[in-house]
Amino acid sequence: MSVSLALRHRFSAGAVALGYRLVVVIAMCAALALASDAFFTESNLINVLRQAALLFLIASGLTLVILTAGLDLSVAANLGMSACLVASVLKSTGSPLLGMLTGIGSGVAIGCTNGLLVTALRLPPFIATYGMLWVLHGLSYYYMAGGTIYGFPPGFREIGSGYLFGVPIPIYLMFLFLAIGWFFTARTTYGQEIYAIGANPTAARLSGIPVKRRLVLVYAVSGGMAGLAALVYLARLNSAEADIGEPLLLPAVAACVIGGASLFGGVGTISGTLVGALILTLVLNGMNLLQVNANWQPFVTGVIVLAGVWIDMVTRKRTEDRL
Amino acid sequence: MSEMPTLAVQPRRLRAALAATPGVAYILLLLVVAFGMTSKDFLSGANLLNIGMQSAILLMLALPMTFVIMSEGLDISLGALLTLCSVVLALMLVRGNGLPVALAAAVAVGLAFGLANGLLVSVVNVPPFVATLGTMGMAQGLALAVTDGQSVVGISEYVQPIYEGGIFGVPIPLAFALGSYALSHWLLYHTRFGSYVFAIGGNREALVLAGVRANLYHIGIYVFGGCMAGMAALLLTARTNSGHPTAAIGMEFDAIVAVAVGGTSFERGDGWLFGTVLGVFAVGVMRNGLNLLGVPSSLQVVSIGLLVIVALFVDGLKRRP
Amino acid sequence: MPAAAEVTPPDRATPVLELRGISKLFPGVRALDDVSIPIHAGEVHMLLGENGAGKSSLIKVLYGAYQADAGEILHQGRKVTIASPADARRLGIAVIFQEFSLVPFLDIAQNIFLGREFASRIPGHIDHLGMHAEARKLLELLGMEQDTHTKVHQLGVAQQQLVEIAKALSQHARILVMDEPTAALSDHETERLFKVIRRLKQEGVAIVYISHRLAEVFELGDRITVLRDGRKVSSLLPSETTPDELVHLMVGRAVDTSYAREFCDRPGELALETTELGSDRGISGVNIEVRTGEIVGLAGLVGAGRTEVARAIFGADKVTHGQVRIFGEPLNGGPDVSARRGVALIPENRKQEGLALIRSVQDNLLLASLARLFPRGWFDPAIGRRVSVEKIDELRIATPSPLRLVRYLSGGNQQKIVIGKWLNAGCRLFIFDEPTHGIDVGAKAEIFTLIGELVSKGAAVLMISSELPEIVHVCDRVYVMRGGQVAGHLTRAELTEANILRLAMHHE
Repeated sequence: MSVSLALRHRFSAGAVALGYRLVVVIAMCAALALASDAFFTESNLINVLRQAALLFLIASGLTLVILTAGLDLSVAANLGMSACLVASVLKSTGSPLLGMLTGIGSGVAIGCTNGLLVTALRLPPFIATYGMLWVLHGLSYYYMAGGTIYGFPPGFREIGSGYLFGVPIPIYLMFLFLAIGWFFTARTTYGQEIYAIGANPTAARLSGIPVKRRLVLVYAVSGGMAGLAALVYLARLNSAEADIGEPLLLPAVAACVIGGASLFGGVGTISGTLVGALILTLVLNGMNLLQVNANWQPFVTGVIVLAGVWIDMVTRKRTEDRL
Repeated sequence: MSEMPTLAVQPRRLRAALAATPGVAYILLLLVVAFGMTSKDFLSGANLLNIGMQSAILLMLALPMTFVIMSEGLDISLGALLTLCSVVLALMLVRGNGLPVALAAAVAVGLAFGLANGLLVSVVNVPPFVATLGTMGMAQGLALAVTDGQSVVGISEYVQPIYEGGIFGVPIPLAFALGSYALSHWLLYHTRFGSYVFAIGGNREALVLAGVRANLYHIGIYVFGGCMAGMAALLLTARTNSGHPTAAIGMEFDAIVAVAVGGTSFERGDGWLFGTVLGVFAVGVMRNGLNLLGVPSSLQVVSIGLLVIVALFVDGLKRRP
Repeated sequence: MPAAAEVTPPDRATPVLELRGISKLFPGVRALDDVSIPIHAGEVHMLLGENGAGKSSLIKVLYGAYQADAGEILHQGRKVTIASPADARRLGIAVIFQEFSLVPFLDIAQNIFLGREFASRIPGHIDHLGMHAEARKLLELLGMEQDTHTKVHQLGVAQQQLVEIAKALSQHARILVMDEPTAALSDHETERLFKVIRRLKQEGVAIVYISHRLAEVFELGDRITVLRDGRKVSSLLPSETTPDELVHLMVGRAVDTSYAREFCDRPGELALETTELGSDRGISGVNIEVRTGEIVGLAGLVGAGRTEVARAIFGADKVTHGQVRIFGEPLNGGPDVSARRGVALIPENRKQEGLALIRSVQDNLLLASLARLFPRGWFDPAIGRRVSVEKIDELRIATPSPLRLVRYLSGGNQQKIVIGKWLNAGCRLFIFDEPTHGIDVGAKAEIFTLIGELVSKGAAVLMISSELPEIVHVCDRVYVMRGGQVAGHLTRAELTEANILRLAMHHE
């Protein structure tokens, strides 16, 4: 009996998939440790975890949208816009609390708008969020007028730069939202309904699930997480510019795809996305350590997204043929 | 069809004629009138020529985008691809290759990415949005990587003549635009390829049942886009006088808006090529007009973004009888 | 089984196409069983049979979508193989389906010659003039006056059909198969079509014509073949038979007596009442009543509107007229409201509309009852598992584990899961759409036992089915649909297959 079959009898399919990915993570760490002395240093590892944490925060919300067979292309622009708003609120009021509320609020508001575009106007998610991407892009640039806002109150900066027992706060946030995300998807009825919607929206609707309401929820959460990620990012960088979020879109999608979320919906987990974020960050970290020009990173991320989608399609076909 | 009393026919006929006139004509008219009134420089000959020249590049992207959208797909990599081709063109020139060789290289790059898009969408069956999202990232990344983030300059001597010279007195950008339109028009309405574009969007099974290798033509649609991006790279490089790694990022958005506003439907295999031309003018007019009014380009994007949402909404309404 | 009567008029030559002993088997089902049919040139050959009799399988064999498992096909007396649509085309066989394969935004000529466009001397360029001239000729042959430059989407259904016929003719079709061609046509358009068919007959084209309208069969047919259960029951000339006899030939299948039901003699409260129900999907003026303890059937031919009625009641389609009452209270809104009110819909297409195939048995069983089992929103997998295991046992669903993905289960078990899903939701009105569709014989009896238990425990059932023997065997009474409206109602005493078919087929 093959290994995979043996494993599948003891563990659920999801756990097995996660296991494979963790093996990849370990293998990559081993390979990088061999390839470069700089890898296994404390500062580098913390750095990797920080980056992965930030990426995970955005990608976790995005995962929920992908579970419903949708896509939120505006998450990065959402982060950018929210970050700019937070920055100016922080500068004008000096209150970290108001800043945080603005960030989450802005993120959720943008997310809800996406949700309404998809459910009320019946725009396909890809197109609706793509349009939203450009609208937000434009608004952020206009709002910032080419300038930068920097210098935030120290209380606020703790979110991104602070430490607790020697571990950076963002990493705690990562584990916190891993737990929340897991709980939401695995231990609430909303989670079950979201998986059902992704697996077969027609059957979900005909089984009495309020599909439209859940879709708005999912986009709102995705937006909210983008807002949260904006806070962390801002706190770390201590400055805000209009294009702050742009480079994060492809990596976020990549993290979800590597993590096993299928763009056709109904398949994927928050923990998978976490591991996906780790794997992607390790790849980029490795490129840095090996002195590869940073300009190659977007290209590599694009290739990874396509490779991940292709693998997803091939494995889907294979299991369908096996029927 | 019931007969109607002659007197009652008149208002009916007028209304029918109004309804039959494509929406984009109204939009264009509205925009021209609006900007003409608010800005005195708008309707000057020099300005209108300016709009024409600038729209040429967008037109060269919007025409193949029309084909893609008619086939129920979408190509969001065209902007990044155009950028990459422009960079390739500039790099080749800087290395001492003549203009023809450089242009050939640019087109080759465009063709390669177009082929990749086509294969992903029709053979591997990746949803077009996702496939072109991936290739967009790759193209964008490559452009950044090979230029190290810097513009490629020092090519003025090669590209200057493009913007200043002409073919039989026609400025080169306009010549390119006219040529592209002529080519696209011929392809869509006078070749099997064009008929099959309608079929892939309208009823792909009919094509397969007729024994046609639908995949081949489906790939061809994206290859067409890639090649046009390669050719348009010449105009872009000439205009910016350099190979800038982010020059045309996002231009595909304007192209999609132009196609949508022009009346091409996203889901029925229905398309109007001249509508795209009008749509391109509409976008060009909007940008130009807003410029003259001092509206920063960032906000221009917002209004164009809203335009596409409106256009898609209207398209959705048209589809649901 | 009545013996098949072969009738060959003395003056006919070799049939242009002949099927001999054609059989087609699927696991558990004989779609075609030793069917032999001669098709003669210049004849309209009517093919009759109720849903599932084998007509569509026969068509698929004719145009190469199915390969027969036994038997042979002879073309002009010579044995041939039809392995693909291309082979069929080469033999001159063309099929006009109910869903046309036309490209909406191309014009008539382009559609006729799709894939075979005329080339001009300029490479790549299409010779429009030549193509349109040829198209014009074909349209004239069919008596169609449309400009060949008209885009197909602007044409009415009748005209689109003529374009399809023109397409077939342009491929030199000598055998035309038409599947319910008049289903969407007005009387006037039907007359026009008949004129065209008669003209084609004169040209020597053979026409295989499938219809449920007995009037047409006698008006247009030169020969009639009746299929039943995949077998050819009879081949007759119209002059030798009557509509009544045809109806009797079409029905009369052996009944599966492994399931017997005690019919309801004391129906309970009024569970479902519709008043002049109409929806945007073509049904109107539907008045139906179902009481607890009853299994009420909803019969009719394909396309008569049965599924549309079910969907309108359930809220899946928009109700444009009339009202639905569940246990006396009006029901408005979508499926989520209906589910909460205790109404269940088990759809015909269970894989596309009833199940999430990539999810597990457990996930599917809980699909309709999440809100009910976990009112606060906290999902407890232990409870979920317990409830699913209960249902699995109760319904005897064959699965190695509740976590098995539903896609791997057999049709019968999948159907049980759909039913189980609604049992968990505590429903009292169940609407079944083709409950035994695609299920093997053994499982069918189980499904009916389940349904019987449901009503004996106080639920009400509305059951749509195309299997007439089952309706007769299982239902207390039946509404028959035709053309989007209720054509009639049959009580237990009046409930026979022949009566149902008569009402369904526009023949009183």
